[in-house]
Amino acid sequence: MIRAKTYNDAKQQSHTNAELNWWIFMRISGVVLTFLILGHIWMTYVQVSEKDATFDAVVFKLQQPAWKLYDWLILSLSLLHGANGARYSIEDYVRSRPNRFWVKSIFYTLIAALFVFGTVGLFSI
Amino acid sequence: MYRGREGQWAWLLHRLSGLAILAYLMLHIVSIGSMIFGEEVYMSIHEIYDLALFRLGLIAVVGGVLYHSLNGLRVILLDMTGRGIVYQRQLFYATLVLTLAGMAFTAYKVIPRVLGGY
Repeated sequence: MIRAKTYNDAKQQSHTNAELNWWIFMRISGVVLTFLILGHIWMTYVQVSEKDATFDAVVFKLQQPAWKLYDWLILSLSLLHGANGARYSIEDYVRSRPNRFWVKSIFYTLIAALFVFGTVGLFSI
Repeated sequence: MYRGREGQWAWLLHRLSGLAILAYLMLHIVSIGSMIFGEEVYMSIHEIYDLALFRLGLIAVVGGVLYHSLNGLRVILLDMTGRGIVYQRQLFYATLVLTLAGMAFTAYKVIPRVLGGY
């Protein structure tokens, strides 16, 4: 991971463009997710009771294209943002190379499976 | 931990809240996505997270999301502007205050519902 205070520091520390691109991605997706997720929490948890999230209510809401798009944006951006954030932690704390390989392999597989599951769920109704 | 000041606590809380939110997100995708298996499966999972303990636990999730969002904006200010560095300590305390205020408001809205069973 890049530990930098400024864009120029980050650029100098990165050996490939991949790390720099993730550094930029975390900031852009972070700003977008701030609005999407705080809006999501406000509309589905603070304003209304969680008890109302029944099967019929969820199916009715997710049948509307605008909510499909909104929720799919959260799904994809937050999984990528979260997977990359967890990768920083794995690289910090899992010190041995073989262990790191296995932890990352299993973790990325899980994230990919959740992404497929969520996408299929959103677009199958 | 070394003897860091506010900046270090901000970093640690950011990492912990991020991992906690990711864990919640993964469970949330499974619990809501279970609707593709039909109403019975969805509602049996819904009844579990409808328990008072989990509904109150969501107030902590809201706190984690609020902290991670606001501190993330603080990090961007530090990265992109010189003034962000000058005021990073004040911004950290502002983040904490806003997070606690948001959690208090959420609790004020949610706790009566949980107690009233609606």
